[in-house]
Amino acid sequence: MGNPDITPRQSFLARTPSVLWFLGLLGLFTLGVTVLAEGFGMALLSTSMVKILGMTLCLCLIAVAMDVVWGYCGILSLGHFAFFGLGGYAIGMWLMYARTEGIVIESLANAPIPPTQEEITNAIATQIFGVVGSNELPALWTFADSLAMQLLFVVLVPGLLALVFGWLAFRSRVTGVYLSILTQAMTLALSLYLFQNDTGLRGNNGLSGLQNIPGLLHLPQSTIALWFFWASAAALGAGYLFFAWLVSGKFGSVIRGIRDNEARVRFLGYHVESYKLVVFTLTAVISGLAGALYYPQAGIINPAEIAPIASIYLAVWVAIGGRGRLYGAVIGAALVSLASSWFTGGGAPDVNLGFYTINWTDWWLVLLGLGFVAVTLFFPRGIGGLFDLLVRKP
Amino acid sequence: MRLTALLSRAVTMPVILAWLLFLPPDEAGAQPALQPLLQEHQAELARPSRSTIGPVIAALLASDHPGITDFLRKWEAREVYLRPEDGLFFYAEKTGSRLRLIDIDSGAAVAEPGSREIEQIRPNAGVRREVAAALVPFELNAADPARRAAALDAIARSAEASQIAPLRESIGTETDPALKIRKERLLTLLTAQFAPTRSERLDAIAGLAGDISIEARGVLNQLTATRDGVAAALPAGANIARVLEPGTDLTEAQAHDRLVAAGLAPPRQTAADLRDVLAQHIVEGAVGGVPLHRLNTTAERIRAYEALERAGTVPPRAAPDEMARAVAAHVFYTEYLQPDPRITQAAEDALAATTRTLGLYQVADLVLDGLSLASIFFLAAIGLAITFGVMGVINMAHGEFIMMGAYTGYVVQLFIPDYTISLLIALPLAFVVTFGAGVAMERLVIRHLYTRPLETLLATFGISIALQQLAKNVFGTQARPLTAPDWLSGALTLNDIVGISTIRVAIFVLALIFLALLLFILRRTRLGLEVRAVTQNPGMAASMGINPDRINMLTFGLGSGIAGIAGVAIGLYAQVTSEMGANYIVQSFMTVVVGGVGNVWGTLAGASLIGFLQKGIEWFNPSNTLAAQTYMILFIILFIQFRPKGIVALKGRAAGD
Repeated sequence: MGNPDITPRQSFLARTPSVLWFLGLLGLFTLGVTVLAEGFGMALLSTSMVKILGMTLCLCLIAVAMDVVWGYCGILSLGHFAFFGLGGYAIGMWLMYARTEGIVIESLANAPIPPTQEEITNAIATQIFGVVGSNELPALWTFADSLAMQLLFVVLVPGLLALVFGWLAFRSRVTGVYLSILTQAMTLALSLYLFQNDTGLRGNNGLSGLQNIPGLLHLPQSTIALWFFWASAAALGAGYLFFAWLVSGKFGSVIRGIRDNEARVRFLGYHVESYKLVVFTLTAVISGLAGALYYPQAGIINPAEIAPIASIYLAVWVAIGGRGRLYGAVIGAALVSLASSWFTGGGAPDVNLGFYTINWTDWWLVLLGLGFVAVTLFFPRGIGGLFDLLVRKP
Repeated sequence: MRLTALLSRAVTMPVILAWLLFLPPDEAGAQPALQPLLQEHQAELARPSRSTIGPVIAALLASDHPGITDFLRKWEAREVYLRPEDGLFFYAEKTGSRLRLIDIDSGAAVAEPGSREIEQIRPNAGVRREVAAALVPFELNAADPARRAAALDAIARSAEASQIAPLRESIGTETDPALKIRKERLLTLLTAQFAPTRSERLDAIAGLAGDISIEARGVLNQLTATRDGVAAALPAGANIARVLEPGTDLTEAQAHDRLVAAGLAPPRQTAADLRDVLAQHIVEGAVGGVPLHRLNTTAERIRAYEALERAGTVPPRAAPDEMARAVAAHVFYTEYLQPDPRITQAAEDALAATTRTLGLYQVADLVLDGLSLASIFFLAAIGLAITFGVMGVINMAHGEFIMMGAYTGYVVQLFIPDYTISLLIALPLAFVVTFGAGVAMERLVIRHLYTRPLETLLATFGISIALQQLAKNVFGTQARPLTAPDWLSGALTLNDIVGISTIRVAIFVLALIFLALLLFILRRTRLGLEVRAVTQNPGMAASMGINPDRINMLTFGLGSGIAGIAGVAIGLYAQVTSEMGANYIVQSFMTVVVGGVGNVWGTLAGASLIGFLQKGIEWFNPSNTLAAQTYMILFIILFIQFRPKGIVALKGRAAGD
């Protein structure tokens, strides 16, 4: 404490001006989209565009979580998209159940005798699971009629899975690339499990029609899209603020220490495994929340979304944006996912080389892959590293 | 019908007389002619029907004429013609567009009539079956072994009691040993089913014990076939297989369903029935006094129904315990179709013995399957065992090297149509191509990332998606075939249960060759020594005059090249797609991690564990390979918890850390 270099603790926002910058920009962006959107303002942005932007914000949120677990704590998790998907499934079950319930009740309203609860449940089950050849509601769906329970599951299911998996993995000191492969195995197992028809989540059909929000069916999609956009922006802002606060304090110093030299931190007396477990579980929960906001905008979720490759893409976004800086993750996720939908959606013009025409729908992945190699080799700090050239640290 | 028969008989008689008159004396002396014999049954043979043909065939066969079987066979095959003008039968052969009639007895060409002047005799399918069955005993003794075998097939298809005697007689004169064995087995099967005395059948059934052929199992299953029964008391004299206890062997609802099906109990009223009945009795917005809007619970619906019941508008509802009482009042059982209890008992015993044998063979087959899957995993992972296991480089593009090798094989096949030669060229070429790709990747990318393993993972993943998409752009998204040469496309089969395709044996052999080759290179060559030195301590190795750059490059190239050859092998039994590598990458990494990093034997152990495990899990639930994979991965995750260093863990300094 006698060291004169240590100034009295400033408030966390004063120490990290980038947070204020980010929140300000996010606010401006939200305002801009709102003004331009179809559902509210000048109708320059189509509803589908608003949805894409809202989904991108959710991807930014999970990228921030990934940055905390990888960029700050050094755990290259290839499983966070699985948590994202689980969050989506949890909310999707309620969306699908409640929506089907509405349809069933409407169709039975003209029956001579009002239906019993059992008849309604059976009709819902047939409606939802007929596609996988079943007419019974699986036990998994016991609470599907309750929004509160399913919202709880959005947090609980990814959180518990991360807790159990992380506890097992960190306890036996699986680190580095082995941990990455293990998380990838977990993701693969989960997606293979969900691909089966008899697991009660409709196999490879997934859950669909999620864009129809029960209770809000009288509102046009343009309004709902905007609401979800706002919710996504608020979630990203809150998540960003929370993680920025988390990593700026002593906790952040410890997990950075674990990233740089795990053994040394352990020798200093910290219980490394607990720190890792907290980071892993916390980011998994945030990922689940991001998924729960993402899939109602996407409208459909199926096991392919959870496939291991999605989680690797997540790592790619964070690496391109720049690890160890939260705004880097946001930049990477936004840039790559928007570019991806622009190129593969046929938005990019073909390049005619005379002897061959480059069609970006076919060549985008080649470009992305090679670009990614280039970033890893030549710009290990990612795009966010460019800010270091502008901002000179005092 | 009768009129035509009479008419034709009237026509036939003078013809036969004329025939007898003009019969050439020398032939008549040698053997009696066939044609007169045939003319006796002229009408039936010319217009055959299933109901009348039986006695005719019997009579013809009873004549024992040497030409009769030949005639019947030709007749059955629609090769016999009738000339309506004199009612004679002829064989025929085609000369150009016309037919040349051939005399049945002399074999000489007789005439070339126009198509209007003759009729082809066309027995229908039923008649032909009759003839075929009647001919069986003759066929069993035919000179041509192929015909004897065909006759055995015919008996096996439609077995009946009458075939026992001719079959038994034909065994003594059988010269072909293989056919003799078949005949004896078939005789056992027939005897077990149809022999007149019980002791004969019991002996035959005992002889079937442990016979795993489908026919033998079919016979035993037929002998032990059961039907479900229900009655107030166990019927006397029935061959009861088992008495079923409602509540344990079948649920009460199932038991009641059987009662309903047997007409012993009225059907239960389902919830839907109840609703429909109520819907028919709506009076002024209420049913039985209960307002409609309250009928949304089962209890209220029952109350409404009971009100209707009291009013007498609907039949009374079943009392709550009526189902239980009905079930309790009856006995449920399964009963053998075969009435003789000693026969069924013997068949059950034989079946139990067969099931034991069958179980043994199934285990053997499972082991073979596991072995083959393990060798595929090993082949896919062995390149990784070098790059990841020995060098510690995470190469996510390893799967794409496998794909590259497979596409190399495909391209070679496009240019060289002979599959054997193209395979012989494709194997080394795939090695060269992927070796080159591996060396290029090591030089351009991985070399710069040796100190940053996590980034190696991501950079190689970038290469992986680029290569995958590139392959998609070049070869399209549909699967491309990589055809195995004929000598690899068969299967080795021991019996009905145990068998393995040749291609899998080849993959197994290839895996063994790779194992030996790799062990030899790593342990016995200068290169192997240098590889081990560089991976243990690059600085020290460099100071001993080894060039670590060169060694790393060669090692990575070797691992990639082996992946290419594995790609050709895998492409031969699976199809070649741009995603085929991605399907193996996670499994391959797990194979190496489970086996123990840095050790080729470890990879072998890992591949065996994963291969056998997956087949083992599949065995419990054969229809669901996805579930097997899921559980296997869960097992691996747990396994790594308890043995983080894998099965074969390196010890001492080599372990690094």
